[in-house]
Amino acid sequence: MSSPSKRREMDLMKLMMSDYKVDMINDGMHEFFVHFHGPKDSIYQGGVWKVRVELTEAYPYKSPSIGFTNKIYHPNVDEMSGSVCLDVINQTWSPMFDLVNIFEVFLPQLLLYPNPSDPLNGEAASLMMRDKNAYENKVKEYCERYAKPEDISPEEEEEESDEELSDAEGYDSGDEAIMGHADP
Amino acid sequence: MLPRKREIVAGEVEDLQKKTRAGEGEATREEGDAAMAGRGNEIDEDLHSRQLAVYGRETMKPLFGSNVLVSGLQGLGAEIAKNLVLAGVKSVTLHDDGNVELWDLSSNFFLSENDVGQNRAQACVQKLQELNNAVLVSALTGDLTKEHLSKFQAVVFTDISLDKAIEFDDYCHSHQPPIAFIKSEVRGLFGSVFCDFGPEFTVLDVDGEEPHTGIVASISNDNPALVSCVDDERLEFQDGDLVVFSEVHGMTELNDGKPRKVKNARPYSFFLEEDTSSFGAYVRGGIVTQVKPPKVIKFKPLKEAMSEPGEFLMSDFSKFERPPLLHLAFQALDKFRTELSRFPVAGSTDDVQRVIEYAISINDTLGDRKLEEIDKKLLHHFASGSRAVLNPMAAMFGGIVGQEVVKACSGKFHPLYQFFYFDSVESLPVDPLEPGDLKPKNSRYDAQISVFGSTLQNKLEEAKIFMVGSGALGCEFLKNLALMGISCSQNGNLTVTDDDVIEKSNLSRQFLFRDWNIGQPKSTVAATAAMVINPKLHVEALQNRASPETENVFNDAFWENLDAVVNALDNVTARMYIDSRCVYFQKPLLESGTLGAKCNTQMVIPHLTENYGASRDPPEKQAPMCTVHSFPHNIDHCLTWARSEFEGLLEKTPTEVNAFLSNPTTYISAARTAGDAQARDQLERVIECLDRDKCETFQDSITWARLKFEDYFSNRVKQLTFTFPEDSMTSSGAPFWSAPKRFPRPVEFSSSDPSQLSFILAAAILRAETFGIPISEWAKTPNKLAAEAVDKVIVPDFQPKQGVKIVTDEKATSLSSASVDDAAVIEELIAKLEEVSKTLPSGFHMNPIQFEKDDDTNFHMDVIAGFANMRARNYSIPEVDKLKAKFIAGRIIPAIATSTAMATGLVCLELYKALAGGHKVEDYRNTFANLAIPLFSIAEPVPPKTIKHQELSWTVWDRWTVTGNITLRELLEWLKEKGLNAYSISCGTSLLYNSMFPRHKERLDRKVVDVAREVAKMEVPSYRRHLDVVVACEDDDDNDVDIPLVSVYFR
Repeated sequence: MSSPSKRREMDLMKLMMSDYKVDMINDGMHEFFVHFHGPKDSIYQGGVWKVRVELTEAYPYKSPSIGFTNKIYHPNVDEMSGSVCLDVINQTWSPMFDLVNIFEVFLPQLLLYPNPSDPLNGEAASLMMRDKNAYENKVKEYCERYAKPEDISPEEEEEESDEELSDAEGYDSGDEAIMGHADP
Repeated sequence: MLPRKREIVAGEVEDLQKKTRAGEGEATREEGDAAMAGRGNEIDEDLHSRQLAVYGRETMKPLFGSNVLVSGLQGLGAEIAKNLVLAGVKSVTLHDDGNVELWDLSSNFFLSENDVGQNRAQACVQKLQELNNAVLVSALTGDLTKEHLSKFQAVVFTDISLDKAIEFDDYCHSHQPPIAFIKSEVRGLFGSVFCDFGPEFTVLDVDGEEPHTGIVASISNDNPALVSCVDDERLEFQDGDLVVFSEVHGMTELNDGKPRKVKNARPYSFFLEEDTSSFGAYVRGGIVTQVKPPKVIKFKPLKEAMSEPGEFLMSDFSKFERPPLLHLAFQALDKFRTELSRFPVAGSTDDVQRVIEYAISINDTLGDRKLEEIDKKLLHHFASGSRAVLNPMAAMFGGIVGQEVVKACSGKFHPLYQFFYFDSVESLPVDPLEPGDLKPKNSRYDAQISVFGSTLQNKLEEAKIFMVGSGALGCEFLKNLALMGISCSQNGNLTVTDDDVIEKSNLSRQFLFRDWNIGQPKSTVAATAAMVINPKLHVEALQNRASPETENVFNDAFWENLDAVVNALDNVTARMYIDSRCVYFQKPLLESGTLGAKCNTQMVIPHLTENYGASRDPPEKQAPMCTVHSFPHNIDHCLTWARSEFEGLLEKTPTEVNAFLSNPTTYISAARTAGDAQARDQLERVIECLDRDKCETFQDSITWARLKFEDYFSNRVKQLTFTFPEDSMTSSGAPFWSAPKRFPRPVEFSSSDPSQLSFILAAAILRAETFGIPISEWAKTPNKLAAEAVDKVIVPDFQPKQGVKIVTDEKATSLSSASVDDAAVIEELIAKLEEVSKTLPSGFHMNPIQFEKDDDTNFHMDVIAGFANMRARNYSIPEVDKLKAKFIAGRIIPAIATSTAMATGLVCLELYKALAGGHKVEDYRNTFANLAIPLFSIAEPVPPKTIKHQELSWTVWDRWTVTGNITLRELLEWLKEKGLNAYSISCGTSLLYNSMFPRHKERLDRKVVDVAREVAKMEVPSYRRHLDVVVACEDDDDNDVDIPLVSVYFR
């Protein structure tokens, strides 16, 4: 519909309109962080991750690069780099998709339905296939240890100097929004 | 009946293949020997790497054995000869019985005013020879006889009467073996090609594309059998394609190598013309690969083809009726020349009338092929300009004909069958030309003047042009511009910029460069060479990359002064950037690009056409990360992995070590602050280099390489198959190791395996290089001494880690990140690092290695190919040789001189229009062409998209301006008056204002320019009075409205 030059602005706007908390770094539009909550009724519920979003020059023709910055235990997320191996945000990306799709649909789906057949974290995949209980405990243990709101907020003071409290207030309702669409 | 018939056909094809394969072997051996005798060595792969990437070795060999005659050395002959010498045929013989005239200087770049009066062929020999010493270049003067032709594999005539052509073609057609005959002419803005490669010519590869493949998921026992493939990638088979199978388990009958036919091809499945009902049941595995059967083409001799031309190869579908008319026109011109022994005089109504009469009288003899109407206006243009050989036409047809010669000599790609006609009358100025304007001025541009007139010639000479890039396209362009006289007056100016230097692999097509120029800046060398072609050229050569960082060089005044911009680039990023600048400054942009035998051109004309960035190709496909990490299923995946390991081990880690050494305090505190797994991993790598795996002697490097081998190709595989045993099942109960995943097996090291040994040696050499350790001479080739050195290394036994629950030894603890806090580990590592760094000699540092694909002696490609092939061996993927590995890993873009030359010819035909001005969009042409098929698709450019809002309408070429040093709020109000609600204002990549951020509200009453300075760090240069902002806004119904860039004139 609109020119690529304005897609970043529009996408960012739509994301914030959907009540996601977005941390900007000095108002740059190429790279920012989005707070992402584990989908309701999933073993990731209660976890919150700061997801790094990078929009290259070629966005939206080229997919955004997405990475978890705090740890998550998941067969398709690299434990060390936080990189996500998901076809819709890599191979089958289309300029029709936008950031709201990623946070409302793609990532919640990934957390609800991991794909251990194409693992990026082999250990997690293998545990999931062999011992579901141990796997789920481990996921929850990780959420407990690394994905609490306080795990992502202290960095805020260092990385973004100019974030507003009023933005943060919005994110309770943001939770609702995600849950509403997590499982279409 | 039908299936039976098909079986017979399939059988024949198979037989044919066998025969051809046998024949092919002989031919290669013979011609290979000839090539060996001629030059005493193999293909110079450094020189020809880009061309090898198009043709492959098997095509290059027969090409290197071929002797070619080029007759007629005006512009077209010179272009053809250049392309063939660059391609590297065995010999090129130039024939011409005429002498150089000033007239020839508008298209033959080998000639100068000093050559006038000399024989044309002789005047070109030496300069052609300079292009490639491996090719024998000689001249033949005087009358040509049939006997002369017998020693050539291909003969090309660019200026020959029809009678003579028919006589020579008859001889070539019936010669044993047949001699490929090509006749081509360019006359003003009209051109023709005719090909006859003999009564039965075998094409080995009809399109040059890699055979398509698929990974089998299931095959039914049925007639026909249904073959399903994994839904990883869409299949690209077409009905009627032949395919072979390998690695099929269960239905092993299909592994027999027999080609079978595809029908009902779908995205992920197809039917196979085979009754598999009695075959074994499919179990798993299988790769299906397309086989491309050779095609036999029966050419008609010229005499027969003249009266029965069959279908003409089309190029421009808006000129559907034209090829038959041009077929006639060229015959009429031939008749005129035969009767009057001269060309029509430019602008002479009498001569034009005579040509038209001949055309009409020939048409009357055609019977049912007779044309209903003869376009006299077109014939007027044709006849009037026919004496001129224009450089752009010569460049274009030189590319086409050069490629046809390569096809004739190698059997690679589908030949042109048999006539091709083309014209570019739209290049003529909009206003009718006065005969007086066409009169020669006794200058080197007389030929061009005879077609376009002196008025346009003056404009060309005064043009201010910016050419971005001076590589393959750039060299061709510079030659073209020099010949056309563009920027060749005092007022004219051509700025060419390129930040690259010349490499050996450039020389096979960037024809303005010689081997003694290697290492010198491309732009300077090319500009100097262009000034030899035309000393009047006003060219300035710069070495700046065209990017936002060089806007101080290419500033507003520079851009505003330009008439047109010619892109000669090799990457999309730079193209996008130049496009945005051209849109901003409203300058015509002439864009082109090539890929192997393909090329495209796109005209970007202010307000008439869409801009380059308006349409885009989908980005290149990348393999999924998990596939590259652990589940490769083709050699590309292995090579991607190999490159990333190469970079990690030899470039990134040493760089990291140096970063630590140069400022330990900062480095450590940064690691502490980050406190994450990545920081921990980096510290571990640094410690590895400085402590455990530190190398002091060359033997240390050997040890390192040997242990890496064990780790990568044995231990990791054992660990992976321990985590996922061969029989493991996914949660859904399907086998984990199912297609496309391939089950890996460890490689047991053996120093007697040359590929393993040479990989270890190459890796050790580069490791030693990073430590500045001298390299032992014996290590450079695999030998007994080297094998002993490698065998000396003690390799510990490997125990797979017992998953996640069992934590036994210390190493496992540090790797099992689950149970340990990164921050704590980082503290331990820092302590260790501080201790280790005390033991280092002062001034110690490492030498990071940057991957360089084009140096055959630096061991880089040996390491990468070794990495990839060992991994391929793990996964039973076919290995590749170093050259193929280089193409894939080095992302070498296949490139040949022919398609490059053609692209620049097509662009220069458009340049006449852009510089003349006044043309409508219907006059411009964009082209996509593939010389391999061959295919030409020429069409009008797409107009820009118009956006409407209330009474306003605009395109990408428009800009809105606001005057006054306004605040953000005033800007919002200004837009509000137009019914637009702005929600986001940005400058560069920074947000100045977004309605969602409360903290942005306080910026509203500040001046736009001040916010831009503070947030976007945007300092407006003193000569500029305005600042540009991008505004995203909605109309009153909340629909997004894509408004133009807004320029705020604040001073």
